[in-house]
Amino acid sequence: MTDTTPALAPPPPELDRQLAALAPCEIVVGLPTYNNAATVPAIVAAVRAGLAAHFTGASAALVNVDAGSTDRTPELLAEAGMPCVLARHEAPSVERAAVPFHGVPGRDAALRSLFDVARRLQARVLVLLEADVTSVTEEWIERLVRAVWEAKADLVTPAYVRHRYEGTITNLLLAPLVRTLFGRRLRQPFGGTFAVSARLLSHALGHPVRPTTGRDLMDLWLTGTAIAEGFAVWEAWLGPRHVESRTRTTDLPTMLAQALGAVFAVMEQDDELWLGVAGSEPVSAVGDHAPPSATPATVSVDRMLGAFRRGLRDLIEIWELVLAPETLDGVLDLDARDVLAYRFPDRLWARVVFDFALGHRYGVVHREHLLRSLVPLYLGRTAAFVAATQASDGAETEAVLERVGAAFEAEKLYLTERWR
Amino acid sequence: MSPRPPAGRDWYKDAVFYEVHVKAFADGNGDGIGDFAGLTARLDYLKDLGVDCLWILPMYASPLRDDGYDIADFYGIHPAYGTVADFQKFLDEAHARGLRVIADLVMNHTSDAHPWFQASRTDPASPYADYYVWSDTDRRYQEARVIFVDTEKSNWTFDPVRKAYYWHRFFGHQPDLNYDNPAVRAAMLDVMRFWLDRGLDGFRCDAVPYLIERDGTNCENLPETHAVLREFRRVIDREYGGDRVLLAEANQWPEDVRQYFGDGDEFHMAFHFPLMPRIYMAVRLEERLPIVDILTHTPAIPPSAQWCLFLRNHDELTLEMVTNEERAFMYYAYAQDPEMKLNLGIRRRLAPLLDNDRRRIELLQSLLLTLPGSPIVYYGDEIGMGDNVHLGDRAGVRTPMQWSPDRNAGFSTADEHTLYLPVITDPVHGYQTVNVAAQSRTPSSLLNTMKRLIAARRSSPAFGRGTMEFLRPRNQRILAYLRQHGRDTLLVVNNLASSSQAVELDLRALAGCTPVEILGQTRFPPIRETPYVLSLGAHGYYWFSIERPDGANEPYGIERTAI
Repeated sequence: MTDTTPALAPPPPELDRQLAALAPCEIVVGLPTYNNAATVPAIVAAVRAGLAAHFTGASAALVNVDAGSTDRTPELLAEAGMPCVLARHEAPSVERAAVPFHGVPGRDAALRSLFDVARRLQARVLVLLEADVTSVTEEWIERLVRAVWEAKADLVTPAYVRHRYEGTITNLLLAPLVRTLFGRRLRQPFGGTFAVSARLLSHALGHPVRPTTGRDLMDLWLTGTAIAEGFAVWEAWLGPRHVESRTRTTDLPTMLAQALGAVFAVMEQDDELWLGVAGSEPVSAVGDHAPPSATPATVSVDRMLGAFRRGLRDLIEIWELVLAPETLDGVLDLDARDVLAYRFPDRLWARVVFDFALGHRYGVVHREHLLRSLVPLYLGRTAAFVAATQASDGAETEAVLERVGAAFEAEKLYLTERWR
Repeated sequence: MSPRPPAGRDWYKDAVFYEVHVKAFADGNGDGIGDFAGLTARLDYLKDLGVDCLWILPMYASPLRDDGYDIADFYGIHPAYGTVADFQKFLDEAHARGLRVIADLVMNHTSDAHPWFQASRTDPASPYADYYVWSDTDRRYQEARVIFVDTEKSNWTFDPVRKAYYWHRFFGHQPDLNYDNPAVRAAMLDVMRFWLDRGLDGFRCDAVPYLIERDGTNCENLPETHAVLREFRRVIDREYGGDRVLLAEANQWPEDVRQYFGDGDEFHMAFHFPLMPRIYMAVRLEERLPIVDILTHTPAIPPSAQWCLFLRNHDELTLEMVTNEERAFMYYAYAQDPEMKLNLGIRRRLAPLLDNDRRRIELLQSLLLTLPGSPIVYYGDEIGMGDNVHLGDRAGVRTPMQWSPDRNAGFSTADEHTLYLPVITDPVHGYQTVNVAAQSRTPSSLLNTMKRLIAARRSSPAFGRGTMEFLRPRNQRILAYLRQHGRDTLLVVNNLASSSQAVELDLRALAGCTPVEILGQTRFPPIRETPYVLSLGAHGYYWFSIERPDGANEPYGIERTAI
């Protein structure tokens, strides 16, 4: 693999001084930012309240890694009334021009420097938050930190209370895929928010396969490594997740290509993590589990089906290269003309995704084209999901999603047999 | 019987229909006449074209004195076309490809060779004696017009066997059935059941305004006729689950055709006859008024109903539903050779009518596919086939489909002299130049353009289901309209003129939105409060989908939170 991202900028001369003044520090709250002045003060307030209420007496610090904000985000954090380390990293200019789906240019590099800082501060817990998520409360801090603090967990990933038609890329694609790869039923493999123990942090930093380049791989690789190497992975129910961002894209093809591209890249870089895994199990959780809400939503099945039909018309030549003949036959047999009769079988969907993973690995089509050509299929699958659950409540919707995950697992052999 | 394509009950509202004559499409057994085996072998072509439903012209046993509209046995396939088993195989293969099929059914009359008529004329005591409309005088129903004015002098013909006159609205060899007789109604329902049981998706019902006669009326569109038709619809809905479609041929003014939809309890669909000649008129006059006028005066129809639109069909381009002045103009514009006229119409195909002008052909197809209703493509018009006005009656527009430059246009392996009609060989439209094989290989061909247009039509349900709102720019040569359905809005702009035109459209209601040209997915400048200026080349057309600004109309509603 070639290194396409610039090397980390040297730490600012004063970073050592900042760290020396604070170490040791038991709880480190990491906050990668990029022009989040509008939202960071409220987040820091919630962090302070959470630490004061639940971890009285623990030493804590905020570590900000900024990607070059021009709206005084770091300055606002410095004035937020909490011990604070300000670091910067040079995000690739292409990511600043077209910000990745999670809103932070160069997030992998930001995480690497954040991990490094946390270790140097001798943190027992590193909590990572997203700077544009405005629904953070003091309970979030408690639920993320507690299991690590009490040495029960090494990695705590988030679970959110969402509308059932939120997170369709996660629910229909990323979560079933990650569950099948790693054998743990995580609800938000790309949740953006998590907590890590010192043990896992140190293991990850010293790991020989740790991705040092590439884009948006760190979150998923860390999760995979933690599971594969026996670290305790938990989930924290945090409540709703509201995002207030000026930089996140709402372009579905971009979101899907970046997030799924990251999964495919991790699959290729470290297939030891997942090839031998069979089955899956739920993870321990803190907080109260809540099924997705089923309030009415304006989701256009017609438009999604229209996009699927356009895909059938325009992308068939790419799909012929990517999909196995029997998978393609299954897709062509879907009759998207009638919403009432239209279904997208779960196992066919699993095969589609696995064929794309294999096509990505073997480079049958330019990878960006390959990832984007999955979009109409994803919309076709999403349309079927929405159509099938329109009259369902939250629990029934969860059951439908569980069947998607189970179908991916059932087809895993199909993937592994063709991977080697 | 294979499973029929799954769809909602109102599948016909989104469908593109394709009218095909079995004898004219493909000859499977090499006898010079097209048949079901040949048609079955060509189903992939139709699937590829993108149409949804085939309309098969009369396929029944018949002496063929009116090209099959003179049925001698409602339960049999004409031997030249195959057998009922061949038909079944064709239907199953069509369904396997997701294509539906409706068949012509002549309800009004039979052939005089039909056993019902033979029994009726010979034996006044037979159960069939009252199957037809008999009279001792030819003076009844004098107010009913003669439709085939070129061949028929009266609607009555004297039968020397029964020694009485029988009633016929069409040719003398096509006696009208007597729908006042309950036995006739029951017999016709049985006929329909026979084919629906085989999986047929519906009927195009021929000549429906004339089922019942009453003194003192013109014997068209009578309330009693509507009562019969509603009875048929009720039975078919009840017995077949409600997704079989009935399409009315009623060559009448829109307000009269409107009655054939009932309250959504009569026909599902009906042809819009008066629109068709006005499309030609508008293009020749380079003036939108004829189209705007007829559609503005078209009454609203029930929500479940749908108009069927066409540019050409197997009959003459009928000019019954125009004024005398308009008819004179149409003859002047489109039928200067008297050979081209037939009855009150013009017996020519689409491409020759338009002087084989590719831009005008495309423009008319654009109108067909975007005006409110479900379009019907007449076989061969998708490649711009020509006609032969010297073949008599309407045979000139029913010549063999032109598949390739091979012998008999690839239609048949028979000796060319045994073909049911000669293939078109003129230098402009002849099969050597106009054929499927050549056009399939040429990306810019009319055939490939048709495929693109039909596929683009699928991109939004607003084409088949949307409301209609004419824009009224000062430039009368531009026909522009908005079609809206749910959150989909389409803007269609057509230049009726043979010269480039600029137009200023008042789109203030859509300020902030962006028109995206559907065929090329090209984003045009956003709409503002000021007039929206477009320029169009000669006979150019745009199909836009209107994209709302962020937040006002997220395309799918899942984007903001998808991860």
